[in-house]
Amino acid sequence: MPAILNLPWTLLADKTEDYAWFPEAASTFAADNDWLYGFISLVCIIFFIPIAIALFYFAVRYRKPKGAKAESNASHNTPLELAWSIGPSFFLVGMFILGAKAYLNHRSVPDGARDIAVVANSWNWQIDYGGGTIHPELHIVLNEPTKLSMRSSDVIHSLFIPAFRAKKDIVPGRYNYMWFQPTVASQKVSDEKLAAAKKRMEDLGESWDWDELDFTPDGYTYYDLYCTEYCGKNHSEMQSVVVVHETEEDLNAWIKKYSQRGEGEDADKYGEKLYTRRGCSGCHSINGDKRVGPSFKEVFGNSRPLTSGETVIADENYIRESILYPKAKVSAGYQPVMPSYKGQLSEDDLYSLVEYLKTVSDYTPTDVATGDQDGSDEQTPAEGQEATVTVPE
Amino acid sequence: MSAGSIPSGKVRDPGYPTKSENYLTNSKGILSWMFTLDHKRIGVMYLVGVVVAFAVAGLLALLIRLHLFQPDGAIFKGSDANNTYNQVFTLHGAIMVFLFIIPSIPAALGNFLVPVMLGAKDVAFPRLNLCSFYLWVAGAIFFVSALCASGLDTGWTFYTPYSTSSNSSVILATSGAFILGFSSIFTGLNFIVTINTMRPPGMSWFRMPLFLWATYATSIIQVLATPVLGITLLLLIAERAMHIGIFDPEFNGDPVTFQHFFWFYSHPAVYIMILPAFGIISDLISVHSHKRIFGYRFIAYSSIAIALLGFLVWGHHMFTSGMGPLTTIIFSALTFTVSVPSAIKVFNWLATMYKGSISLTTPMCFAIAFIFLFTIGGLTGLHLGTLATDLHLHDTYFVVAHFHYVMVGGTLVAFLGGVFHWWPKMFGKMYSEWGGRLAAVIIFFGFNLTFLPQFVLGSRGMPRRYATYDPEFAYLHQMSTIGSLLLGVGLLVALVVLIHSLFRGKRAPANPWGGATLEWNCTSPPPFYNFERAPVVGDPYDFTTIEWDSENERYVTVDPEREIAPEEKPETEPAHAQGDH
Amino acid sequence: MSTIEAGPETAHSADGHDHDHPSFLAHHFDTPEQQFDSGKLGIWLFLVTEILFFSGMFCAYAIFRMLRPDVFEGCSQFLNTKLGAINTGVLLFSSLTMAWAVRCSQVEDNKGLVGMLAATLSCAMIFLGVKAIEYSHKWEMGLLPAGLFVYDPANPHPPRPAPPEGPWAIFDPAYWTYLDYICAPFALIFVGVVIWLIYSLVTANKFHLAVAKPLTVASMCFFVGVGLGTILESGGSESHVGEHHAGEAHAAADDGHDHPDGETHESGEAVAAVIVEPNTNEILVVGDESGNKDETAVRQRLATDSTNSGIQSEIAARQRQSSVAGTSIVTEDAEITGAIEKVESEVLTARQAGVFFSIYYCMTGIHAIHILAGIAVLVWLLVRAVRHDFNRQYFGPVDYVGLYWHLVDLIWIYLFPLLYLIR
Repeated sequence: MPAILNLPWTLLADKTEDYAWFPEAASTFAADNDWLYGFISLVCIIFFIPIAIALFYFAVRYRKPKGAKAESNASHNTPLELAWSIGPSFFLVGMFILGAKAYLNHRSVPDGARDIAVVANSWNWQIDYGGGTIHPELHIVLNEPTKLSMRSSDVIHSLFIPAFRAKKDIVPGRYNYMWFQPTVASQKVSDEKLAAAKKRMEDLGESWDWDELDFTPDGYTYYDLYCTEYCGKNHSEMQSVVVVHETEEDLNAWIKKYSQRGEGEDADKYGEKLYTRRGCSGCHSINGDKRVGPSFKEVFGNSRPLTSGETVIADENYIRESILYPKAKVSAGYQPVMPSYKGQLSEDDLYSLVEYLKTVSDYTPTDVATGDQDGSDEQTPAEGQEATVTVPE
Repeated sequence: MSAGSIPSGKVRDPGYPTKSENYLTNSKGILSWMFTLDHKRIGVMYLVGVVVAFAVAGLLALLIRLHLFQPDGAIFKGSDANNTYNQVFTLHGAIMVFLFIIPSIPAALGNFLVPVMLGAKDVAFPRLNLCSFYLWVAGAIFFVSALCASGLDTGWTFYTPYSTSSNSSVILATSGAFILGFSSIFTGLNFIVTINTMRPPGMSWFRMPLFLWATYATSIIQVLATPVLGITLLLLIAERAMHIGIFDPEFNGDPVTFQHFFWFYSHPAVYIMILPAFGIISDLISVHSHKRIFGYRFIAYSSIAIALLGFLVWGHHMFTSGMGPLTTIIFSALTFTVSVPSAIKVFNWLATMYKGSISLTTPMCFAIAFIFLFTIGGLTGLHLGTLATDLHLHDTYFVVAHFHYVMVGGTLVAFLGGVFHWWPKMFGKMYSEWGGRLAAVIIFFGFNLTFLPQFVLGSRGMPRRYATYDPEFAYLHQMSTIGSLLLGVGLLVALVVLIHSLFRGKRAPANPWGGATLEWNCTSPPPFYNFERAPVVGDPYDFTTIEWDSENERYVTVDPEREIAPEEKPETEPAHAQGDH
Repeated sequence: MSTIEAGPETAHSADGHDHDHPSFLAHHFDTPEQQFDSGKLGIWLFLVTEILFFSGMFCAYAIFRMLRPDVFEGCSQFLNTKLGAINTGVLLFSSLTMAWAVRCSQVEDNKGLVGMLAATLSCAMIFLGVKAIEYSHKWEMGLLPAGLFVYDPANPHPPRPAPPEGPWAIFDPAYWTYLDYICAPFALIFVGVVIWLIYSLVTANKFHLAVAKPLTVASMCFFVGVGLGTILESGGSESHVGEHHAGEAHAAADDGHDHPDGETHESGEAVAAVIVEPNTNEILVVGDESGNKDETAVRQRLATDSTNSGIQSEIAARQRQSSVAGTSIVTEDAEITGAIEKVESEVLTARQAGVFFSIYYCMTGIHAIHILAGIAVLVWLLVRAVRHDFNRQYFGPVDYVGLYWHLVDLIWIYLFPLLYLIR
């Protein structure tokens, strides 16, 4: 039956790619789910078509001028009515059992699944790969059962990966778990294509355009990851991607790339990466736009009026305190909604972020830029250049 | 007997009311309306109120659809675009649910019809009835003031902890919903008492029109479920005002508890919305097919069954929220049981049309549209009740499409059908049949164009409540937006047709459709006292004695000439002459 | 074709019927029986909605009692069983008088009816008076819902501002206690009723006099309740918590949540300490980082004064910040499985103790609102009873209010053991 149901779609696959019923099936759940969906739809159609035909046929066939009497005045027919009350129930029982079985499969995490911690906050995903590596993208390994241990630091969110047909709410105050086993790996795009895309984004002066490019800045094709529980203003922007690596080694290599500041990498360049990766960019712009939080353009070195009425100079200590204890000194005109990053950022991360803030701030550093330059700067000219171009200042 | 000729017999027709009898004109001035205890006037005031609420929420819906015409949002621009969008969809939902759908059929049509169908003079507690209406007004004022203060952006479900931390006017809006809840409770209470104690002699439970059965079932839900919403909202207000720590995880409350409390009301509320629609459609199908309703008892019992089962299925809104697997599976099983009574009704309606004498009047067109749309809405519920598929479809556009098929394709279309059906009775005017049918057809196509693509959007993974979306969904969103404009045009045509009839419509006869229930036995519009004396209660679905009077364009009841028992005897032998008889 | 048109000139009375109706029978009912049955069904349905309304809170009680039994056990000690028991007795007695009133109305004993209604009213007022003492006492101590909870076990009775000086200073709201605020409207009502009584005495208006007399007694009863409550509270409150220390307090302290400070405190305060102390620690931790340990403690003590809203909100902000910071730390991967237990052990902080008081205030507060509503309808009945509105055929309203009153009583019968007794 599923084969028959899927036949039209496979035949028209090329032409209907944009209009298909389902996104790509990329987990072990997908086949079950799509089969069940097809089965239910088939039952629905079997019932619906005769009902619709009868409805319109009767309306035409028994249409009579006013005053004409009905041909029959049967008031009831108990066996018939019992038949159509009880008959469909068998289909319902079938759907229920199939659905419940597949559901239990969703709930029973296999032993030895790779455990990944997920923290959702408005409106960012933070996926913890251990060892202090936190990144908004979810990277997993092909054919390996993966368990997500999820919690929220503010309101309810919900993690949804359409390609995996899996979804779970993330409720603050408790841990929720989900698991899946990816069956289709992401493709690695060619280096030229990646380089061309990066070049183009740089030329346009934009951050990565996920709508247009179907691969990540690391050059992997990806699956969408959405937040599906309404969580406030930027709910629709609380999206991320899932990348399925072919091998564990590939994944580890990717993690390593993001685990810490690279040897000889500039602090401010690394701070910029943290800015996008750790979700600062969700609330703080660098071009002066007022988002949920103040723009970084106007922070460092400037005097900040606080909600308490005081004014402070935004120096390194202030920024540090604001990252670790965001509610201690809240800028006037903003809500105290920022979650604390205490324990999530290493000293070096904090330092890098502060350095990055210095570079994007309007405030021209005269006395700030004293002796913080690494000697290693010269050793990585390529990286340095690249990043300088990306900073739109 | 052919159409147009009336068989011999005593023709019954109440004729037309005089100006001093007509409930619309028997007293004048705004105060005579504001302080009226007449259930019909209260019904009319409700009708005006809910239509205004619907217009507001409908315009908000159009804004939503227009905004979604482009992936990046076409209407709201700037840094606050998402916020504006969130407020618009929240208010669309909240106004539609609390101010329009819940009171639409029970309060507006129910108020007008319940006592008339019972042959009673009024509902049991007329003052309470007026009080309900003013509570509705108060609730509406609260919503408007929430809108004017700082809007509302929590979604109509007020999920904590977002609702306890959002800086929009949650307290104003929840107070409004709380007050509206009491309006709903009092209306339900009034109807239960009225139907229980004020049925005329001869009207047994199984000789009640099915609309009354549906209203009765609805009222049971209103009385039993709404208080729980009341306390939930009250606790939410307390949570916001002084952080009582019951729902707010910041004070170690539990947000899932809020969801349980909320859906314990709000799932039965879905049946508050759809059950009266079933009642209307049962009556419409039977009257316009001029055929006895098929399987009266099955329809009546299934209404009660839905009302009771509806209390046990609230958990299916929370399959993904992390309830235990056993709880989840039980809720799924219970959910499937609710679908059976709804299916029974659809089959019975079809069987009623079979071999009937169907007039494709405007109300009948709406009724047919209802069956078509509601069947789609009901069947797609199976995808959501099935656990595994729900994990994929939950909180996507599939859900949006599903409940719009039930709420708009079901309740709204039935409401329109009911309004067109009883319009001549309410206002004594006939509207343009062609205009009405045109509206029905446009609404039918516009609606399908709007919401069919959303099923595909949902199964492809487009989440709900997104202000912007990935460009791969654009094509379907654009179809939907075009459909919504068409739907808007259809609704506008319906409104124009009805308003036009008030000024230019022909005078309506007492029984324009050939109905056999009691409301067609009084004049159109009814006198303020409804019936001078308690009317004769007949079978509400016996159309054999109702004949078309083509001369006056009306249906009349023809009592067959009674066979007088001693017809021949008196001439031959007087009774008293015999000694005994 | 013959058509029976409704005669245009058919005479209708204003209410549209032509048979004789007794004055008490509404126009749309046919018989007094029908009217009575409708009312009875109506009030029963209303009571069903009331029960469901309270059921939401009973559910919340059950859920949170299940989640944090120790919090409920400990906090319940703060409630004064004597006051609760007095109130239970008063309400039970009022149910008796109410039932008696219904009987009086059925047998047309009008004098008895007025008397019984007045007795019921008086009981309701005594109940509220005692409740006023209970509430104000807890507010003074800072035993408030979670978000406002400021109770400090080291200083359970923060000093009040200096007593007023000068003859008129008593009217200065700055010196008012919570009890004064609660009593003020009742005092106004009492004064108003007394003036009314004097006026009707002077004008010798029998009807007004007959209404004002029982109302004077009833409104005075509020202060009887206040007096009664004061006596019991002052006799019991200080020693009250102490009374229980011997067994329960230690039991609670030893009850798993091992708290090093628990034993060092005076045993009388041990229960409170167990629940509240972790919070102080938590704040101190934050305080540590910003500098001064003592400073935070001082601030906290200052914050117990209701006028110090600035400090209060500052402390609230710190608490919230520390809680957010505390829950946001990403645990090591290995620790994630154990994290749930960790969360549960963090439950016993002061903010969580507030949950008990949240539920206590919600349940008893909404019950008190129902008592107030009952008082309003009882006054309405009293006026109608003095007017001789009720008779053998028409006593529905008394009956309906009676049912309502019994329900309100019944709910208290459940609240009393759930909140005060079960430990």
